[in-house]
Formats: sequence, C-alpha cells, structure tokens
Amino acid sequence: MLIGIDVGGTYTDGVLFDEGAIIAAVKKPTDQLNLQNSLLEVLDELLKSANKAISRIVLSTTLITNLLATGRGERTALILIPGHGLPPQSYDICPDTYFLKGSVDFRGNIIEPADKNEILEVIAQIEKSGIQRVAIAGKFSNRNNSLEKQLGQLFAEKCPDILLVLSSEISNKLNFPRRAATTYYTAMIIEEWKQFAAEIDKAIKARNLNSEVHILKADGGTLPLEISRSRPCETVFSGPAASTMGGLALTRDKLNSVVLDIGGTTSDISLLIEGQPLYASKGANIEGKYSQISAFAVRSAALGGDSFIQLQGNVPLLAGYRKGPAACFGGEAATVTDAFNYGLKLGIGQAQFSQKKLEELARQAGINADELSAKVIDLVVQQLQENIEAMFKEWENEPAYKVWEVVNKKKFSLQRIIGIGAAAPPIVPLLAKRMGVDYYLQQYSDVANALGASVVRPTLAVDVHVDTPNDFYTVNPSGYKGKINQRNFQLEDAKNLARKYLEEIGKQRGMDSYLDQSSFYMEEQFNIIRGWDRVGKLFDVGIQISPGFIKEFKGVAK
Amino acid sequence: MKKTGILFFPAFDWAISPTHPEREERLLYTRDQIFEEGIMDLPQIQEYHPRLAEPRDIARVHFCIPDIESQIIEAHLVAVGSALVMADAFMQGEVKNAFAIIRPPGHHAMTVSHGNRGFCNINNEAIMVEYLRHKYGVKRVAIVDTDVHHGDGTQEIYYHDPDVLFISFHQDGRTLFPGSGFMDELGGPTAYGSTINIPLAPKTTDSGILYAIDNLILPMLEDFKPDLVVNSAGQDNHYSDPLANMAFTAKGYATLNSKLAPDIAVLEGGYSVETALPYINMGLIMAMAGIDYSNLREPDYVPDRYKESPRNMEYIKSMVEKQWMVYKNREELIARNKQQGGEFHRYAKSIFYDTEYIHEEQNNLIRICPNCAGYRKIDSRAQHRNGENYRVYCISIPANACPQCHEQARQAYLDLRDNHHFELLYLQDRINDEFRSRDLLRDIEKVL
Repeated sequence: MLIGIDVGGTYTDGVLFDEGAIIAAVKKPTDQLNLQNSLLEVLDELLKSANKAISRIVLSTTLITNLLATGRGERTALILIPGHGLPPQSYDICPDTYFLKGSVDFRGNIIEPADKNEILEVIAQIEKSGIQRVAIAGKFSNRNNSLEKQLGQLFAEKCPDILLVLSSEISNKLNFPRRAATTYYTAMIIEEWKQFAAEIDKAIKARNLNSEVHILKADGGTLPLEISRSRPCETVFSGPAASTMGGLALTRDKLNSVVLDIGGTTSDISLLIEGQPLYASKGANIEGKYSQISAFAVRSAALGGDSFIQLQGNVPLLAGYRKGPAACFGGEAATVTDAFNYGLKLGIGQAQFSQKKLEELARQAGINADELSAKVIDLVVQQLQENIEAMFKEWENEPAYKVWEVVNKKKFSLQRIIGIGAAAPPIVPLLAKRMGVDYYLQQYSDVANALGASVVRPTLAVDVHVDTPNDFYTVNPSGYKGKINQRNFQLEDAKNLARKYLEEIGKQRGMDSYLDQSSFYMEEQFNIIRGWDRVGKLFDVGIQISPGFIKEFKGVAK
Repeated sequence: MKKTGILFFPAFDWAISPTHPEREERLLYTRDQIFEEGIMDLPQIQEYHPRLAEPRDIARVHFCIPDIESQIIEAHLVAVGSALVMADAFMQGEVKNAFAIIRPPGHHAMTVSHGNRGFCNINNEAIMVEYLRHKYGVKRVAIVDTDVHHGDGTQEIYYHDPDVLFISFHQDGRTLFPGSGFMDELGGPTAYGSTINIPLAPKTTDSGILYAIDNLILPMLEDFKPDLVVNSAGQDNHYSDPLANMAFTAKGYATLNSKLAPDIAVLEGGYSVETALPYINMGLIMAMAGIDYSNLREPDYVPDRYKESPRNMEYIKSMVEKQWMVYKNREELIARNKQQGGEFHRYAKSIFYDTEYIHEEQNNLIRICPNCAGYRKIDSRAQHRNGENYRVYCISIPANACPQCHEQARQAYLDLRDNHHFELLYLQDRINDEFRSRDLLRDIEKVL
C-alpha cells in the first residue's frame, strides 16, 4: 500500500492507495506552527484503514517554503567570488555578503588567483560577527571549483564549527546569481530541515512501518528522505507539483491540458504539454529570487472558493484574501463558493445561508441576488481565463537559441482543463465552456495532490560539461570534476559519461529500477577552432529520468 | 523605469562551414558569459523570443537573384525576424532601447543580392529600417556602423537617401576587406553628405575611436535629429580579433554605446569568439541598460597597453574636421547638384562577393528629382556559383518618392515587360508595399 501526504498552507491532505484504488482519503486543517503534527495526524488516520504493509510514503510539505518566506532561517553569510563583469551591488541576495578576489572564465581557466590574506580577513570578520553558517559561491565555479574549495578548506581549518555550503556542490548549471541564491538558502535552512527529517524518521520507526520514505520535489519527482538532508531547497513548491502530478495521474494521456487547482484563496495553474508538465525556465522563484531549483511553471492567481465578494460602489469585486469559510459552511461573508452555490443551485452545505448573504449584498448594490451571482460567476471565470491565457503567452515567448526551435515552435492549443481542489467542481465546467475545451473532474479531485504524491516516481537530471582541450569534465549534481584521459573524445563518449553518472548517482538514491527509463534531453557539441583548425570540442550533455509514475501505478479506478 | 530589450539568437545550428569564423561556436562563450552573469534575470532587462521574417520584409530592401528562396535559408529569416521583434518592442514602447544579438550578420549585403559577401546574404539593419518606415512611418534614421569592416552594403542601400544618415568608422579599406569606405564616399548627388566614412589606421585605440565619436559622430547626430539611431554593432575593432588589426577594448565598446545611446543595436561581425565577444556583448548590454560597467574587462586586459600615437591622433583630428565640414555644407551642395544635374545620374559599379567568388557588374541610373530622393534602376549581371548566368533589371522606388517618380518608375517596369535582353525584371515599390518579379523568358510574374 502507498501513502501520499501533502501538507499545504490551509489543509493537509492524505491518501491511502492500493492496486488502483483510493482506500482512504483524509483532509485536515494544517497547524502552521506544527507541521509535523498535522502530517502525523493525517498519517495515523490513514493507517487506520491500512490492512497491508505500507511499502512507500511520499511527503510534500511547505516547511522550507514557509521558513524562507517568513525569514525564520538562521542568519547566514554569503561569500561571493564574482570576478569581473556585473558590479558587486547587483548581487542583492543576502545582507551579510562578502566579496573576494579571484576569477575563473567559462573554460575553467583561473584568470586571477585568490588572495589568502584577504580570505583570512573575511574569515576573521565573519567569526567576529557570530555568524555560524556560510554559503560560498564563485562565478564559473561550475567549470572550476578550486577557488571555492580553497576558501572552504581555509574556513574549515580556522573555524571548524561553522557550517559551510559550496555552490559547486549544490548546482553546476550556468547562472551565478541563481546558484549563489540557492546555496545561500540551503545554508540558511539545512539544519532545520535535517531536524524535521530526523523527527519524521523517528515517527515512522515508532510506528514500525518499515516503509521507504520519500520527499516530493518541485519538479514533481521524489527524493529519498535521507538524500534530501543535504538538498533541502529541492523541496520548495512541492505542493503545486503534487497537484500537477495528481492531475496527470488521474488522466494519464497526451493531451494539452491546464491543471487548475482551485483552493480556498488561490488558484494554481500549471500546463501539461502533450502530457508533459511544463517547467519554469528560470527555475523556482524563491522570495523574488530565481534559483537553480528545477520546478514546474506554476502561476498563482489570488482567487479561490473562499475569496469573499466586496462592493466597490455597486460593482462586485473579489477580495484577494480569505475572511473565513463560505457562508454555506458557516462563514460570515458571501464568497465565490456562495455565488456558484446560489447561482447554479448546487445545494452545497447550508445553501440558504449562501442565498441570505448574497441577498444582503445585492440589496446594497441595488440589484437582485440572481444578477449579483451571475456577475460574480462571470468575473471568476473571466479572471481564470485571463490567467490561463497569460500563461500560454509566457510559454510561447520563451527564448529560443536554435533555428529549428523557432521554425518548429507551436502555438499552445488547449484541449482540456483538469479541475483539482475543493472549489473546482462548480467553476471548471463553466470555464471550459467559455474557452471551448473539454474538462475533467473526478470524485477524488479534491485530494488529487496527495494522490499525485503517492504514486510519482523519483526524478534525476544529470548534466556533464566536457572541455577536451582543457582535458576536464564536470558533473551536475555533485560538482565532481574529472579528467577525460581519452583521445578523440566524441559526442557518444560524452553521452556514455553522462549515463555513467546518472547510474552512479541514481544507485545512491535507490533508483535502480528506474535507470532504464532515462532519456537525453540535451546534446550539444561545439568545435573549438584556432585559426582554421579544430583543436578540440566542447560538449554539454544532459540525461534525465523525467517526472512520471512508479511502475505499479496503472491508473485510478473510478 | 523602462527595460532594455535583449534578443539573444546565437543560431547554434547554423554555420558557413565548420571552421569558418562564422560558425556555430561564435556566440557560445557569449552565451556562457551572459547566462553565468545572470544578466537576463536583472529587472533592467527583458528577454525576447525570435520570430521568422516574412519574404516581403526582405523584398522591401533586396532584389534576390533569381528569387528570395535561393538566396536565404531559415537562419536568415530568424536573424532578421529577431531584429524586427526588437524594432516592434521599441516602437511599441515596451522597452527604452533594444539589442538584437543575432547571427548570421548582414551589413555587407547590398540592394542586389547574387550571393553571400562578407558572410552576409541579406542586410538585417536595412530590412529593419524599411520595416520601421513601412509599419510605423519612421522617416529619418541614423545608422552608425561600429564594425571594423566598412559597412558597404548598408552604405550602398542608402547612398541616395538623404533621410538616412549612414556613418561608418572602420579599419582603412587599403588594409582590410571590403576595401572601401574612404573619405570621398559621401552619398549620391541628391544625398550628398548623408554618408560619412571614417577610415582609421590599424592599431587605433579607445581614445582615437572615442575622439571621433565625441567630435564628429555625436555632433552630426545632434544636428541630423533622426527619429531613430541604430548601431550596426560589430565587435571586431577589438585588439584580439583574428580578422582585423585594431586595438579597441570591451570597455571602449561599452563607453561608445553609452555615448551613442542607440535606440536599437544589431550585432554584426566580431570573430574573437572566446577572448572578446563575451565581454563586448556584456559591455553593450550593460551600457544600454545603464548598468555600471567599470568592473568589466577581458581576462588578458592590461590598462594602458594600447596608447594612441600622437601622429595617429593628429590624423584623426584632421579627418574629423574635414568630414564635419562636408556634413555642414551638404545641403548647399545637394541644391547645386539638383540644379546642374541632368535627368538621371548614371554610374557603373563592380561588386565582388568574397565568400562565393561572384563578380557582379552593375549599371545604375538614379533620377535627379527636385522633389524627392529619386527612383533607381539597376542593370546587373553575374555568374552564380552553380554556373547560371543572370542579367537582371531592377527598379526601386524609395519610401519617400514623390508621385511623379512613383509613376515614372512603375511605367518603366511596364515598358520593360517584353524586353528580352534580361532574364528577370523586378519592381520594388515601397510606397505601395508591392514587390514584383517577372521571368521575361517564360513570361511568369510573381507578386508579393
């Protein structure tokens, strides 16, 4: 049996899944001050229905997102080795930022060495400030991390108790500010995440479950709890990823779809292009900063079932926040849910309260309740449509760097809207009708996020960069730098190298049974010419196990 | 505050040949540098997606022989389409200025295109300028060509257009391809002084080039009052460029762009792909976006390594003075030419296509019109690489033509329909945005 739990901002959802059927589904309010409790409460509730061993538990939690959003992470210093280029003031990442000399170029050549005295001075300053966590990031450290390593070693010698995180170990992709931000956030929250992971581990052991425990990542794949200890940032935005994968788990086809998760106060929109989730091209955006965390492209609209209706003059508007539940569930104010409940005669909850609150508001606006609910319904559908269309536009406007990408670029033609979340059932059919497409709703739509978490497989992307004249390659993730030791190195060799590291890292992560599902997503090779002669080649090769489902998952019985 | 628009299109799948300077790798290190710097993530920058240009965008500028399809491939349509995306973004007020980092380049492509010359088949800047005139009614444009090679294609296209101020500084044509761009190339009789060339001695440095910017180019721009300034932004004046011999630096290029403040910059040449382009492109982006570039330099940069010789500085100063006088007195001379000139100004031209070894012979007629720039007729012949011989006749009506020239030129096209001296006859009517080509042997006409 499988368990998926999504600890969201308002609710914690859980699903117990077995042989194509949802055996139990639980929804409880989230206790923001004690996420572990919310999680374990839902787990215990689910376990009551379990009649077999639980083989796998997948957790999605907002812990890291919350820690970063509320600034509750530890004070952390960021040491940058930016070399030449943008001015230092453009790196607005951390209030305690230090800059060091040293410079590396895109070929991994050291252009300017580090200054040891300057390093010792910065170490002394940080030690004096009492900061206990330090993130280190150098420009082009993905091509040569020796400056980062040298600094790290000196730090470890001088202050062995300080926690250090090097950017080359976190990500090896181009984009120094994103890498620096990701490293900084990692250093800031890594201890808190380890503590959370230890508590979960303990709680699972205390229940004698003996199950595999995985954490859901922002890219819709899973990561073993153990491995997540060193890479906590990958767990941000796993909630929206759970919803997207939930939408895909319910439908499992190749249509161009929108997954629309309508919650209490926000609606999350993601795209499935021919059945493949669309990624955010600039990585997860954490607190306004782009990162190197691979994440789905998710657009959040401040609109949900609990958005209450306001009047501006006599024009109804939707408030961007929540006052409480809908009137039909005992709330104080008329909400979006009440407008649909009354306008479409849905009979949700205590429908007479929907009517009562709407009539009160309509009277103030000088219209009747029918007109008011019609206007609100129209407004909701219109706003969602605008948000969805803005997302298509963003996708179409993504940069392209090759001729064939421009020539073959397709327009996104939507085929279907997949509704998820408690407020989806009344809204999605109207929206689909207005946009002239099909829709998909299902009895488990409101726990699709937890369902998605329970059945997704692990993901892993490995990139290698090879520079034959300089005789080196680097590997992402891990930051490993090796020598080629081979003459006449070709693209096929670079692909083999990438596959080898995918297998190695995959095995460490217990992904043995998914290694045969890998595919190359990037194969670039460039000649290096001196004069009119080729002196070597550069390769960038990427291989991945993309988001998908565990082998035993064959769909959900209706 | 408005952003700077950037369209980075490195065409990683296009090359003239695998080891040619114009190869896939050309913007690879530029990509590495600008991606690693994360400059596209900054709030001052907006990145754009390329699009394909339409055949009529090309026909507005070029006579492609025998037709557009045989002169270009998709890569050209994307490169020029990218320049058009930047033009739209600028004209629609989405950005304060824009930089198209594109390849293949274009500034050696002339009005008639029999093939590739100087790595160019079609002229990205001219196609953009005519698009801007057609779509947005832009009238006066200044194009400053900062490539080390003379921008002979752009010069030829606008040689008779007094509403386009074309300024090119470059390494002296006696020492470098294309062997033109001398001080006496000043525009046709009715557009005299709106072409200004600044041939520089090899090894000219930052201070020499910036002197010409401050004392000639900026005063001319101020006086000309263009609706739009375009930088035809080559990057091969750099001290490390393998195809030229100048001593300009990345910071020099950045300073130049701060001073010039172009509305739209379009990448042209520059073949020091590893040691110059990544830094010059960064410098241009930073200068256009108003980001401090004092921390930018090449890895091998040594301050004061290249110093301007007093003798060269004297040469530059005297040239600046001479060209300024030409520019100042141009209107007088144009008036005299219009009075003295006959009905047509006639000249012959030989054009060599270095990339494809094509020799083209042209006879040109340009109408000396009292009211406009006059229409142009070109009798052109050349043998293509595939052995085909072409003799063609092209009639071009400029965007600012007067009704009389417009009518005369259209009539000339009709009159030549049965002329069997030529294989192909073309009409480029920029006023009606109508582009005709006629196969005179088979009597087939195509209209765009």
